[in-house]
Amino acid sequence: MLELAGVTKRFGGVAALSNVSFTVAEGEILGLIGPNGAGKTTLLNCISGVYRLDGGSITFDGRRLDGLPPHQVARLGIGRTFQVVKPFASMTVRENAAVGALFGSGQAHLAPKAAFSWADEVLELVGLARKARLTVGSLTIPDRKRLEVARALATKPRLLLLDEVMAGLNPVEVDEALDMVRKVHAGGITIVLIEHVMRVVVGVCDRVIVLHMGQHLAEGTPDEVLQDRRVIEAYLGEKYAARRHG
Amino acid sequence: MSEAAFSTQPSRTGRRIRRAILIAFLLVVVVVLVLPLTLTQQAADANLDPTTLGIDFAINKSIVRTETTIAMFVALAAAWNLIGGLTGYAAFGNVAFFGLGAYTVGFLTDKQHLSFALALPLAPLVAAAFAGLIGVPLLRLRGHYFAIATLGTGVAVGEVIKNLDVFGGATGLFPPILRHADALFFYLMAANAGLAVVVTWLVMRSRFGYGLIAIRENEEAASVLGVNTTAYKVGAFALAAALTGLAGGIFAQWSSFIDQESVFPIQYNVQMILMAIIGGAGTLFGPVAGAIVLEWLILSLAGGGASAVYAQMGLGVLLAVTVIFVPRGVVDFFGGSSKLSLGYFRRSLRETSV
Ligand SMILES: Nc1ncnc2c1ncn2[C@@H]1O[C@H](COP(=O)(O)OP(=O)(O)OP(=O)(O)O)[C@@H](O)[C@H]1O
Ligand SMILES: [Mg+2]
Repeated sequence: MLELAGVTKRFGGVAALSNVSFTVAEGEILGLIGPNGAGKTTLLNCISGVYRLDGGSITFDGRRLDGLPPHQVARLGIGRTFQVVKPFASMTVRENAAVGALFGSGQAHLAPKAAFSWADEVLELVGLARKARLTVGSLTIPDRKRLEVARALATKPRLLLLDEVMAGLNPVEVDEALDMVRKVHAGGITIVLIEHVMRVVVGVCDRVIVLHMGQHLAEGTPDEVLQDRRVIEAYLGEKYAARRHG
Repeated sequence: MSEAAFSTQPSRTGRRIRRAILIAFLLVVVVVLVLPLTLTQQAADANLDPTTLGIDFAINKSIVRTETTIAMFVALAAAWNLIGGLTGYAAFGNVAFFGLGAYTVGFLTDKQHLSFALALPLAPLVAAAFAGLIGVPLLRLRGHYFAIATLGTGVAVGEVIKNLDVFGGATGLFPPILRHADALFFYLMAANAGLAVVVTWLVMRSRFGYGLIAIRENEEAASVLGVNTTAYKVGAFALAAALTGLAGGIFAQWSSFIDQESVFPIQYNVQMILMAIIGGAGTLFGPVAGAIVLEWLILSLAGGGASAVYAQMGLGVLLAVTVIFVPRGVVDFFGGSSKLSLGYFRRSLRETSV
């Protein structure tokens, strides 16, 4: 469904991504992990058209994505969230979701009324239905992350890119969020998710890709990747060490 | 947006008071709209019989002139609100569109001998086309870079036109005078002001409006949700330019003489922004209220000499007070959600006194 070939992105002299290649198959949940600064968010920005590539190509169902502006990528059916949330602050929760519904993929002519009722369904799914009429200012951080997901879902994507939507959630909330991801997936949406919480990765991912210093380090099922010596050295090692000390 | 406005249920007395205020408001509107007709009718009668020409005639003429000017600024402020208030791009050079509209009418009536009625519709088109042209590069800039770039464009357009002999050069242009048309110009300006409000209302309820507000709130998020940000920004800019250019076109015929100084005044840029912000940028009626109050103050205080200085100082203080205490404008102060607003005060009273 999605294919990256030799994707390269530089900031000044620093290569945030060098020569990254992988594919995402229709219907799977793909985990994207790696230490801080590995280039995960940068990769999402490249796919969604926020950044221009310095090399390589990205295709979605055979169509080149690189070079397209973000709104065209969105309309082809790719939704995304932001790690650092970017809500429309003066709008209500419901209006935020409605913007996704009004402009998302293949529904360029959805009337405001229909958009709002679709927004309500999406808010129900992510657990924000009771807060639909609040403005964003009164939401907690986990709720703002839910709103990110709701807005992206409202665009009716076929591929959903989630950037650390479970960071900062307590264990109960993580379980709720996992349920939500499974429900979304059951609705026929392919998912790429970036997470630092290993329980999440093991819990829902069919396959995992590890990025390290902008490079594709390893790839496989969650079990394979978690036992990979290079991955333990580069990423998990420091995590386990931190846990032992903390 | 509109949703929140209906979320509070007014009490019965509240409703009655609201209805009374609404009726009073409508009465004022009717008087304001009808006055120019009766006043100019008297003026016309007086004109037939020169012996009765006197002080009343002069006063009546000045009332109509005041109303016309205020209506013009309502249109300018409401038009600015589309790009500055809804989209969040602080355009500081909208006077360029006013001047282009004015020069379109001036050139076509004076040099091409077209009638005013045929020339006027071209004024908004020329202004909007120009906005579309410069909007594509300018609207890539953000914040004060955009503000400064638009300010520069506004000044540059006036300078260029002044140096082109086809447009009268430094002498200016002279649209043939229309006699006894004071009421006509008032109604044209008022119609344009009404048009600006209706357009804003339609935009705010539409998909287009949601896109503009999303751009204002977070342009990157808007774009990944599918908003064509470039097209939307340029669209809002061109729409604002069309309404501003129409006002300029009417102004050209009304004043029957235009030159660079009279239709590219830099202070108009500041005035229309002040009006929109003081009244409430991004709201439907804020810019209207701001324009009426502010232009009325300017016209009645700026008699010249010392009072003009006081008027300027008063405006400065007013702006400072508004930005500090009522950052979202007067309309928001009365009905809105800011903690400094009366609406907030009323709601918190109700919530604590269950
Ligand atoms: N806009 C930018 N300008 C300059 N450098 C950037 C920019 N965005 C990212 N970088 C750099 O690129 C590298 C990769 O950053 P990125 O945000 O993609 O990491 P990440 O894997 O998402 O990390 P985290 O787990 O902390 O979110 C970092 O070194 C970062 O400093
Ligand atoms: Mg990141």
